[in-house]
Amino acid sequence: MVKSVPTAVRVLASVLVALTMLVLLAPLVVVIGVSFSESEFIAFPPKGFSLRWYEGVLTSNTYLASAWTSLQIALLVTLTATLAGGAAAVALHRGKLPFSGALATFFLSPLVLPTIIFAIGMLMFWSRLFGQVSLLTLWLSHSVVALPYVIRTTLAVLAESDPFLEEAARTMGAGRLQRLGFVVLPQCVPGLGAGAFFAFNISFDEAVLSLFLRKPDLTTLPVQIYGQLEFSPDPSVAAVSAIMIFLTVLMIVVIDRILGLQRFARS
Amino acid sequence: MNDRTENLLLALPGLVLLVLAYFVPIGQMLVLSLSGASGLTLEHFSRFLADPFYLNILWRTVRLSLVITVICAVLGFPYAYIMARVSPRLRMWMVVAVILPLMTSVVVRTFGWMVLLSRNGLVSQWARDLGWAERNFQLMHSEAAIVIGMVQVLLPFMALSILGVISRIDTRLEEASRTMGASFLGTLRSVVLPLSMPGIVAGSLLVFTLSASSFITPSLMGGARIQVLAGLVYKSVTQTLEWPFAAAQAVILFVGVLLVLIPYVKISTPRHG
Repeated sequence: MVKSVPTAVRVLASVLVALTMLVLLAPLVVVIGVSFSESEFIAFPPKGFSLRWYEGVLTSNTYLASAWTSLQIALLVTLTATLAGGAAAVALHRGKLPFSGALATFFLSPLVLPTIIFAIGMLMFWSRLFGQVSLLTLWLSHSVVALPYVIRTTLAVLAESDPFLEEAARTMGAGRLQRLGFVVLPQCVPGLGAGAFFAFNISFDEAVLSLFLRKPDLTTLPVQIYGQLEFSPDPSVAAVSAIMIFLTVLMIVVIDRILGLQRFARS
Repeated sequence: MNDRTENLLLALPGLVLLVLAYFVPIGQMLVLSLSGASGLTLEHFSRFLADPFYLNILWRTVRLSLVITVICAVLGFPYAYIMARVSPRLRMWMVVAVILPLMTSVVVRTFGWMVLLSRNGLVSQWARDLGWAERNFQLMHSEAAIVIGMVQVLLPFMALSILGVISRIDTRLEEASRTMGASFLGTLRSVVLPLSMPGIVAGSLLVFTLSASSFITPSLMGGARIQVLAGLVYKSVTQTLEWPFAAAQAVILFVGVLLVLIPYVKISTPRHG
């Protein structure tokens, strides 16, 4: 192979990559930095080191309440999206469905449709039909957004599975439920696992739907942070945000263990 | 029970969820945008399209989205190409640099930029120290701030879209081009770039759509004076409570996005994600 990449290009490429990575990671680094600051004001680089803002967050009823709301919704969404999405992915993978092409497009369409359009539709629909929004509203609408991600990860795993395993089980006399439970489900597990983590992450971080569908006692963590940013941010917002970043890091490590980031970035 | 019934049963829960909690609400919004005091009307649309104030906001939304898309493509292509060709170890870190921000809440990321671009923030300070700006200069509350914030939010989508395509390009094509005498940059221009086009196009469509429809970063970075269409929708819904008008604005946004998307539906493959 002709390997010679000119030195100038190499240097330029390294600078470009370093700068792009800097732009991508800068806001996260800044937020984490501010969260450990000693001063009353938001300052970067941070002055001194203290954990007082974390202490403040962990003893603040407002933050704890919205964290609990977010967590409840995210867990419900993870369960719903994983079950419904996983089952739908199996059906789509087998392809023996009426209008299966159109159906696949429909299932994946929340990925391309701007969330704001869905959010405003949901708000109007819900208010007209049921009045006030509730936890159920956020549960359902987050599930809609998370569903296609589970379908995608499960389809990706199924695409690499052995199509003859199920046939083999059938010829050996396994019934429909046995085949689903003992052959198909185990094959789906990595996809379902990764999909579940994405679903949790999407719901926990989601702000557009949660902003449209909020009321005073239904405030998720991102909405709480947004509200603070609009008015009077102090370093405790940074501490909450930093906690959310740490959670994301944890989730990426887990997804990497389950599915492998490399594969995921290529799929 | 036959196979078809079994598959239909499997797809049913998801299907019910999508129809009831997604399809119907969007339909409801479409209807509301056309409803007036006395039956069907186009008044909400004509109100928007006849007022220079709103047209101005629409134009700013389109303009900023285009700028953001171009910057993302210019940064995303080399990044994705290098990501596909470096050693697995380095690639891992480059992937993490893309995925970590992607999976962090937009609100959190925007907060980071607010700190950096505020009057006392590092970036504004540097600009002053270097003599590029006057004393009271701050980058916050400007269109530039919106662009900076949005590029960081959307660059991961572009990079992953392009990476998906580039990692399937046969490296022997590049070797062939080099052995036949093309320079490295020549190969990049006439072999890699054309082959990456599907990824660049898909990524651009995705970035344009997302940027035209986002309001969180634009309203935090741009402040109250610099509005974009999606921010206007949010304001009409939550502050002025003009729902039919808000619905009409959302439909205008929706139609605009569809006009861009439809010609390319075949290649639209947003990678997660």
